[in-house]
Formats: sequence, C-alpha cells, structure tokens
Amino acid sequence: MSYRVGVDIGGSFTDFCVLEEETRRLISLKVLSTPFAPGQEVVDGIRELERRFGIRPADISYFTHGTTVGINSVIQRKGIDLWLFATEFFCDVLEMARLKMPDPYDIFSRRPAPLVPRHKVLGIRERMLADGTVDVPLDRESLAAAVETAQRAGAEGIVVSFLHAYRNPAHEREAIELITELAPEIAVSSATEVWPAVREYERTMTALVAGYVQPRVSHYLSSLQRALSEIGVPAEAFITTSNGGVMRAELGKKRCAQMLLSGTASGVIGASYVAAMCGRKNVMSFDVGGTSVDVAFIIDGKAQYGTGELVGEFPIFIPTVSVTSVGEGGGSIARLDRQGVLKVGPESAGSTPGPACYGKGGTQPTITDAFAVCGHIGQADLGYNAIKVDVDKARQALATIASALGLGVEQTAEAVIEVATSGTYVEVAKLVSRYGLDPADFSLVAFGGAGPMLACFLARELGIKEVVVPPTPGVLSAFGGLVADIKSDFIRTVYLDMEPTVLDRLKESYDKLKVKATDWLTNEQAYEGPATLLYSAEMRYRGQSYEIEVPFDESWIENGDWNRLIGAFHSEHERIYGYSDPASAAQIMNLRLVIVGTVPRPELPSAPLREAVPVPARQGRLFLSGRWLDAPLYERSELKPGHRFEGPAVVMQADATTCIPESFAADVDSFGNLCIRPTN
Amino acid sequence: MDKVRLQIFADHCAAAAESMAYTLYRSAHSTFVKETEDFTTGLTTPRGQTYASPRDLGATWFVCLDYRNVIERVDGYEEGDIWITSDPYSGFVCTHAPDVHLWKPIYHRGEIVSFAVGHIHNTDVGGAVPASLSRTLTEVHQEGIRIPPMKLMSKGEINQQVLDMIWTNVRVPEQNWGDLKAQIAALNTGEQKVLAMIEKFGIEAFREGLEDVLDYAEQQARAVVRDMPDGTYFFDDYIDEDAPGGKPCRIALTLTVRGDSLHLDFTGSDPQLRSSLNLPTGGNPRHALIMVGITYVLYALDPGILLNSGLARCVDGVLPEGTVVNPLFPAAVGMRSLMCKRIQGLIMGVFAQVAPHRMAADPSSGGPMVNVDSVDSRTGQRVVACINPMPGGAGGGPADDGTDGSGANEGFLKNTPIEISELEVPVKILRYGLQPDSGGAGCNRGGLGAVLEFQVFMPGTRITARNRDRTRFTAWGLSAGRPGSACAFVLNKGTEREVDLGNTDIVSVDPGDIIHVSSGGGGGYGNPAERPVESVLADVRQGFVTQDAARADYGVAIRDGVVDEAQTAALRAGMTRTNAFYTLGQAREDFEKVWTRANYDRLTEILSSLPVHWRYFVKHRIFELVDGLDDRTGDGGDVDRAFAALMRQIPNLAVEQRQAAE
Repeated sequence: MSYRVGVDIGGSFTDFCVLEEETRRLISLKVLSTPFAPGQEVVDGIRELERRFGIRPADISYFTHGTTVGINSVIQRKGIDLWLFATEFFCDVLEMARLKMPDPYDIFSRRPAPLVPRHKVLGIRERMLADGTVDVPLDRESLAAAVETAQRAGAEGIVVSFLHAYRNPAHEREAIELITELAPEIAVSSATEVWPAVREYERTMTALVAGYVQPRVSHYLSSLQRALSEIGVPAEAFITTSNGGVMRAELGKKRCAQMLLSGTASGVIGASYVAAMCGRKNVMSFDVGGTSVDVAFIIDGKAQYGTGELVGEFPIFIPTVSVTSVGEGGGSIARLDRQGVLKVGPESAGSTPGPACYGKGGTQPTITDAFAVCGHIGQADLGYNAIKVDVDKARQALATIASALGLGVEQTAEAVIEVATSGTYVEVAKLVSRYGLDPADFSLVAFGGAGPMLACFLARELGIKEVVVPPTPGVLSAFGGLVADIKSDFIRTVYLDMEPTVLDRLKESYDKLKVKATDWLTNEQAYEGPATLLYSAEMRYRGQSYEIEVPFDESWIENGDWNRLIGAFHSEHERIYGYSDPASAAQIMNLRLVIVGTVPRPELPSAPLREAVPVPARQGRLFLSGRWLDAPLYERSELKPGHRFEGPAVVMQADATTCIPESFAADVDSFGNLCIRPTN
Repeated sequence: MDKVRLQIFADHCAAAAESMAYTLYRSAHSTFVKETEDFTTGLTTPRGQTYASPRDLGATWFVCLDYRNVIERVDGYEEGDIWITSDPYSGFVCTHAPDVHLWKPIYHRGEIVSFAVGHIHNTDVGGAVPASLSRTLTEVHQEGIRIPPMKLMSKGEINQQVLDMIWTNVRVPEQNWGDLKAQIAALNTGEQKVLAMIEKFGIEAFREGLEDVLDYAEQQARAVVRDMPDGTYFFDDYIDEDAPGGKPCRIALTLTVRGDSLHLDFTGSDPQLRSSLNLPTGGNPRHALIMVGITYVLYALDPGILLNSGLARCVDGVLPEGTVVNPLFPAAVGMRSLMCKRIQGLIMGVFAQVAPHRMAADPSSGGPMVNVDSVDSRTGQRVVACINPMPGGAGGGPADDGTDGSGANEGFLKNTPIEISELEVPVKILRYGLQPDSGGAGCNRGGLGAVLEFQVFMPGTRITARNRDRTRFTAWGLSAGRPGSACAFVLNKGTEREVDLGNTDIVSVDPGDIIHVSSGGGGGYGNPAERPVESVLADVRQGFVTQDAARADYGVAIRDGVVDEAQTAALRAGMTRTNAFYTLGQAREDFEKVWTRANYDRLTEILSSLPVHWRYFVKHRIFELVDGLDDRTGDGGDVDRAFAALMRQIPNLAVEQRQAAE
C-alpha cells in the first residue's frame, strides 16, 4: 500500500487527511497541536495513523503540510532581531506606513507598533531614480558603518530595501554582497528579491515579515525533515503556500514569504476541489474553527486572489488566496450592552479557557455553548474524543444573561445563535458586494470543526440555496494541501505607456520572467512533469491610481498581437466597471507570471445513488424556533449516496457536527457530500 | 422590538449600508473614491434621517446627515426616480459643490418606506479654479456648477438634459460620469437590501425597526452624556487667517451639559468670511458638519455606539446667523473642510473639560493636501497629481502618546507611495518622514508632524497645498502638556532664496526650486517632567526627540544613549510646574495679550449688531485700529474705541447698525 498524507497544523488541532492510493479511500484524523514543540504533532499523528489504521511511515509516498510557525512568530512577535537598511531620508517608511488608521472613527486608533523599531532602521546613502538611473551611488562607507552598528547591537537579520530597487536592484545587490562579507553571521535579504514590485512600503513590509520569521521557519522545517526521516517516512516533505500551491520544504526555508498564509489558503483549495468534483462553479467557502471564521469565494471555478492580506497585524503583498476573517468562531462570547442589547463577540474565549461546555475553566457563554444548550452538539463526542461536552456548564453560562434578557436559557441560546449569524452576515454581505455577486448563484461549502454547525443558519440569512458539507469537513485544509499544485508567482514592474512600440520590451521582460519561473520549477523544485504558464499584467488608464489584473494568452506576447493585448485590458475594465475608454491611454504597471506544475490528483471514490431514507443512530431533541423538537441524529459513516432526509436533524462525525434546521433537506451525493437545501 | 431582534435588525441595517459602500467602491474609478475615499452611502427614513451608514469605507463625516431638507423640498416622487443636488444652499445637505448627492425613494406596495442616499466628491465641478476649490474664492458662484435638487432619473430613465447641463460645466466629464454610475449602482444595492429586510422582518417590523435603531443610538448617546458632570464649559480656538494674508478667525463654543442633553452655543464665532472657509449648516446644531466632532467624542467614550443620526438627538444649540458656522448665501464654502476640522478640535477641546481624563490634546490637523500641476517632459502632457496629504501628529492622550504623522480626526487619510509620485510627476522627493521634536512635550507626547521635501524640474510648476493652517497658532497641549510645533511651507529652505510661504496655498515654482512642506505636531498631554525617563530615552534612541530637546523640554539628561540620573533629577526639580489645563502656545498667548477674551467678545458683539455684509469689513478695520492703539486696556474698551474711531471715518455705519437693530 502507499499513502499520500496531507497535514494542517492549527491552533488547537492538527488535522490529517490520508489518501490510500490503491483504494482511493480517504482517512482523516485529528490530534492535539503542540505549539510548545512545533512538529511534534506531526510525529504524534503519524504514529497514531499507524496505530489506528495500520499506515506504516515507510508507506507514505507523499507528504505535504501547512504550518502556522511563521504566522505565530509574527502574532506573538517572536521573530528574530531584525534591522532594516533603507534609503537615507526615507527611514520612516514603517512609522508612516500608508497613514490610514485601522478605525478612522476612533480618535485613539493606532497603527500596530512597527515590526522593526525606528532605531533599528538605518539610512544608507544611495539613490536610484524612478527610471532606474543612479542618482547617488551606494556609499559603501555609510553601509559599513550601519553594518557595524547593527552587528554591535546583536542583529540577527537585515533586510535591505531601497527606493526604486524594483527598477534597478544594483544597489540592493551590492549592499547584500558587502553585508554578507562584513557580517556573514547575519541573515540578510533584499526586498526586491522577495517581491520586486513598485510601492516602497508594501515591498518593504513583505520582505520584513519574511525576514522576521525566516530563521525560525527554516529551523522548524529542518527539524521536521529530521523527525520525518527518523520515524521512517521516505517522502520528501512539502509545504503548502499562500497562493494555494505547494513547494518543497527545503525551498520554504529560503522563500518563507510564500507560506505564511498557507493554512487558510489550502482550506479554500480543498473547497474548490470538492466544488469541482461535484460540478459547482460558484462557491463560498466557510471555514469555522474555535477561534476564527474564514470566508473565501470561488468564482467560475477559480479561487480569488488578493494582495495585502494580513499576517497578524501586517499586510504582505504577494499573491495570496483571498480569505477574509469574518468573526471569532465558536468561542465568541455573548454579552449584553448597557442598553440590554445582546452582542456576540468580538471577545472570544479562544481555545483556552474555551467554551464553558468544554469544562476547561470557561464560564462565559459562547456560541458553542448555545449550540450545546439547543442540543446540536453534546450528543456525540467531538474532536476524536479529545473533548467531552458538558451541557450543564453551557446552561449555567447562558443563564448569566438569560435573566437580564427576560428569556429562558434555551431561548437565550437560540438568540445567541441568531445574533452570531447576523453578525457573520454583515461581514459576508460586504464581501458579496465587494465582488459584486448574487448569493443565490452560490453554494456554501462548509468545513472546519464548526462550519457545518453554523452553515445552514448563515445560508438562510444570505439567501444561499445550497450548503455542501464534504465527507471530512474537519480536515478539509489538510485535504486541500493534498490536492494542491506546485505553484509560484513572479512579478516585474515595468511602468510602460501601452503603445505598439513597447511590444518588444514586453516580450523581453516576459521572457526574463519565464526564465526565472522555469528555473524555479525545474531546478529549485526539481519538478519534471508538464508545466503551465499563466500570463497577466496589472494595467490601468493613465491617471488612475490603482491597477486591474488582465489575463493574457502567451501567444499574444509571442506574436506581438497588439490588438489582443490592449483589447483584453479594455474589455476587462468594461467587465469590472461597466465602462471602458479605448480612446484613452493605458499603462502597464506590473507583469505577472504564474508557473504551475501539477501533482497527481487523487480521484475520490464515488458510488451510484441509491435512493433511500437513512436510519438514524438514535433520536435526540433539538431546540429550534422556540420549542423542543424530536429530531434524528445520524452517524455520518452510515449516510450513503442517494440517502435523503429532512431537518431538523443532526449529523455526527468525529471531526464535525452538521446541523440541519427545519425546512432544510439533505441529500447525499455520489461522492458522499451532504447537499443541504431549503425545502420551500 | 426586543433586545435580540433589535441587534439583528441593526446588523441588517449595517450590512445594507456596507454593501452600498462596497458596491460604490468596486464600480467607481476616480482617485477621489479609490484613494481618498471621499464618498458616503447610507439609508434614511422616509423623513430623511440617516439610520444606516458604512464603517469600513468612505468619509467619516456624514453619519448624522439629515436629508429631510432636500427630500421635502421636492414632491412628485415615483418609483425608479433618483434625485440629485450639489447646491450647498438648497437645504444644507450638500456642503460644497464638488459633493454630488443623490437620493432614491424606496417603495413598498406603492409607499415610500426609506431613501437610499449618498455622495461622491467629484474632482472637478467647474468654476474659477481647476478642482473647484480654493481659499481665495469669495462667493459660492465661483465654486463650480451648483445643481439644485433635480430629477436625475425618472422611473428608471436617465434625464439626459440634466447630464448635458452638468457635463457642459465641468472639466473632466468622463470621470464624473463614471462616478455617477457607481453612485447609482450603490443606491440600487441599498434598495435591494431594504426590500430584502422588509421581506425578512415584515413591513410593520421594518418601520418599527427604523425608529428603534435611531432610538437605540439616542439612548447610547444619552447614556454617555448622563455620565458627564452637568455644567457650562467654554473653549475657543483660532484659524490663522480668515482669508489670504488675513486676520485670525475665532471660533468659540459654550457647551452646556444638562442631564442627558448637550447644548452647543457658537456665539462668539467670527462673522462669515470673504474666503471659502465658511461652514454651511443652515443654523442646524445637529448638522452633520457640527456632529462630526460630537461623534468622535461619543465614540471615544463608548466605542459600542451605533453610528446613526439618532445620536444627534441629544444635541441642540445656537449657530448664530451670518457667522462662519452659519453663513448666509452667497458666502463661499468650498474649503469648509478646514473650518470643520478646526471645529472638531474645538469640540474635542471643550469635552476635555467635561471628561478630563478621557480626551486627548489637540491634533495638528492643519497640514495640507499637496498637489503638483506640471508638464511631464516624457509625454509633453500636463500632469496633475496629489503627492501626499500631510495631516500632522495626533494629540497625546490620557493613555498613550499621540500617533505620529497622522491620526485622531484625520485617520482616514492615505498617502501616496514615493515611488508612485516619482513615476508620475516630474519631481524628485528629497525627504519624507517624521519631524523630530515636533510633537508637543508631555507625560504622553504629542504625535510628530511629518516633512516632505521635493525638487521640481519644469518651469511654471504650480504647487497647491490646500487646507493649510496652524502655521501661526499651534495645536494646544492638555493638562500641562505642551503645544505641538507649527506647520510650514517654505521655498528653498536654508538657501539665500528662501521664502516662507506662510499659509499660502498655491505657489508657482521653477526648475531647481525645492519645496519644503511640514505638518505640525500634536499637543502633549500631562506634565513633560512626569514622562517616564525610559520613554524619553526611547524617543531619543528612535530619533523622535533630540538630545537637546530631551534636556530642555523633559529635563532628562542623556549622553551617548545613557541617562545621567543625577543631572536628570536636578533638571526635573528645577522645571517650572504648571497646572495649566490648556497650553495654547506662544503665538496665541502673544495674540491674546492684545485680543483678550473681553476684547474679542466685544468685537463679536459689535459685529453681530451689523448687517452681515458689513461684518467682515468692519472686523478687519477694527483689527487695524486696535493694533494701532498704544494704551490698550484689554477689557473690551480697546474695541469700543476702535469702533468709535471707525464710525467717525464712515458715518453711514451708524445708520447701518441702527437699521440692523430694527
């Protein structure tokens, strides 16, 4: 037997999703995460896989995982002692950022304290102009003096980020060489090496976040590689990346900017795989854990990408699967304000002490407690026996606000669910408008431990017509890593007026990008299969302050097909803004190239539909719409393709609980997905 | 509505307003929308009260905007109509001509149940100057086309005649049209959302819900006010110049807190100006432009407060007619944003007396938007671009230092990357960063101002620095905190050709010239001698405070990064203790030696006894005469003497005064 293993390490749990290659059977597992000893949970899980399912480490042929080591180092500010060398007279780039405050209504709102404090930002005498010509040559003496200052203060890392280096990196390269020579013990990187795009704050911030965590990530990956080989896993470790792909762990040691948001990204990749499998083109992915609610949109089969996604408090500007945090998850605390109005969140009981019903010391009422009181959870074990639900504790917690509301405990619990749902609705409604979508055209793919619990309530609020719960909703991120391609993004800022005379330069610049991309895939990734190149450019009309991304066909560039290239821009502008102006001058800001190497796709097992009504494991009671109802509790493993049943009902499985309220009905499709739709 | 349903209803209102804003932001493409976010979207009751406005996107100034005056000004609404106005004197909804406001009635079974509303600041709406705004303009007719309330769409059909009339009068019609379409899309989103709410909650509950969310905000606001000690509180502040090269302009506020109500009396504020700094409110104390500052205060005291016009209900007051806070037609109003910002500071200042340990010192908010108008030699084309807003430091607060470079009431502004400016505009930027020692000293330091220096390469390059102020009177410190530094606009600083441009907002320069623009620092909070030594040391290490200033302003002796404890103790012991609640700064103290409160109050009394069109003139003449007196008493008598002298010079003035009294 041989096994492909995907792992996703989260704050509380580490999820395993295993594909048995011959049988195409999927096996899932959750173990507790070990944040104090990163990597240990992987070893624990692999041992558990062997113990429980007889999967021998030696039979693991592919191993990929997503880790939060990088992002946690940023959140906890536990990165290295990092310094920034910037162009003289522009050293406040981090203090000023882009000026705007997080909450402009709050006169006390502050930007987060910079990752590198001001006294560790040193000005270097040099100046490059916007067209890439040298205005002031790099002053090696001022650089040497800066290195000495940093060295004496015990710097562990230096990021060099100079103005207009995206256009001409000569000074950054020269600086890197000199620093390496003078202080070989210091980890040094160049911002344009990380992401060579125009806009100094954005580029510098991206490089700093990467530089800040790189030694930690690298150390972690090395020890994981060692641990895997010690327990006899022959496969080379891969890691998932923020762009929804994977790369060799070995490469992640150098390019950790690309893996900081891999956890949320691979969930979306998992959701889009499920969606493609069952023929849904437009999907909202809905990932709810104990401490977060993450939403992403898959439009016309494609996950949406963005830049400026947050790593903790800081934005990074490399292409990332666009995932928006819309809430604090099952641990969100319910309370009453001074006017007696019910609020849910943003305060959260987190994973410690967690919801009251987990019996780990929490006393405040949370969303999870509300579900426990209403009977949706607590009728089966959660998290592979890791947690026992204590309904009495949940009732006690909710009783603290019930009397002030003048409601019974159950009614209060139901109110908490409703308010939590409407709070999530506000955030999702923004995204719907941001993308200009109609929720009625979308399916909601629910996953994460608590996603299937909340999904139908949210779907009802949004007017979404279908909820899809995949067979292993609790480990979909791990599954996403398993199906992700090898993938990397490349950029080059050109800032050209779009005229037929620039075609040669475009081709030349794209060719350079292509050389870089191919080198990455074949040499750095050691990948030998077929590769796909996706071309695009960030363009705008002259005078606009932002760009839109326009996809190109490789042949247009090769053949210098001017009409196609410029036409693609006008029509993309028309598509997004309902307006285009072919008479106006266009500019091309950045060239983009994505290279993709496919990994073998696991084809998931399907079975013919056999219409039947499933047999509940037992009957339970649910509090819905103000009263207790008898409702069947189904065991997920007993639900077979073709089964159909109506709500109210609960589906129990080790990694998640699915709530199906009244006036919803569930069908099990041929892949075992639960497809839940309103009955009216 | 019960307390659970109320929250759910409020969430749906918020979702509707946010969806409108995101729709507008997605589909508009002018820089004013994309970078400055100078737009609003919202929903009002059938009577025009805003019950929902977005938090994520858009200007922060219009939470309490009341559309009633324009909604009721016209009748004959039909389903599918959209109305438009950009006239600041048609109901005081629009507050300067670039803001194009739209409103759309939302029908349910043939009845208007709500309005979807909003505005975008258009880059140019014609008038005397490009971009339509300048301090130098003297009457509203110069400030671009004014669209009185008109039907833009009739039953879903656009009225081309209205559009043609607008496009004929503006400089870049395509851009305005793009923005207008985005606005229409936002209104339609609002309509869909309202209809969905009616379907979810039912029409009766919907109607009830609108009133309930307004009541809820009112109750929240009143609860905050009820915690304030009853009393009457006074504060005043000055804009440096009431016109280019002019005299200071006073704004004065007497606040009375009684129970859960606030009474704002702006008596004592200057007569309306012959520049465009006037604030068009129509005399409504709950006007959005007055409520901006109140909203900041209430939100600072209760961040859970619902942002809708219900919170304005705890406010009433007096905005005297013919003053800067209630100008009469045809006063120019284009730059009312400068006045509005100063009034925000005034309101925050007066509330510092009410809630002494909960408010911050003054934010600088006198820095400009820096624009360059030049020719790009690469293309031979004219380039007009904003290089940066320069908002200045926030005031130190009871808990924290003020934020550096921006913040407080200007936290919504975004800057432009240096690399983008240099790509697009023929300038070389020499420096962009924080200005050491610019923050007012205090136990909690005022935020630092910023500095921008750039060189131009094309002859006849015009630099505009709109919204400039605080070159003379600086941000005040609080609770013994010191004032922040002044703003500056200097040509060729430090050379023989140096020119101090003062509060000028436009200058023409030539190749090689270097422009220096700096914004002021925020006021400090608390006694600088009580600032923890390690915080002063940290500031010195980071370069925010120089070693000399640490010694002079904070009494901390630092050499080579090390604190000299003994010397510090001695220095601090020798520092003069002050209990001053406000520290207003040297320039204002000097000014008030002549212009004592008694003198200025007397001036205001005299001016308000005159017809509106005389006031500005008389103010300037009295200023000159008082300046010329050599035996001033400061008790108001100086002004009486000056006015008497003026009456002798201009005999018909007495007649005018008598007629005004009748």
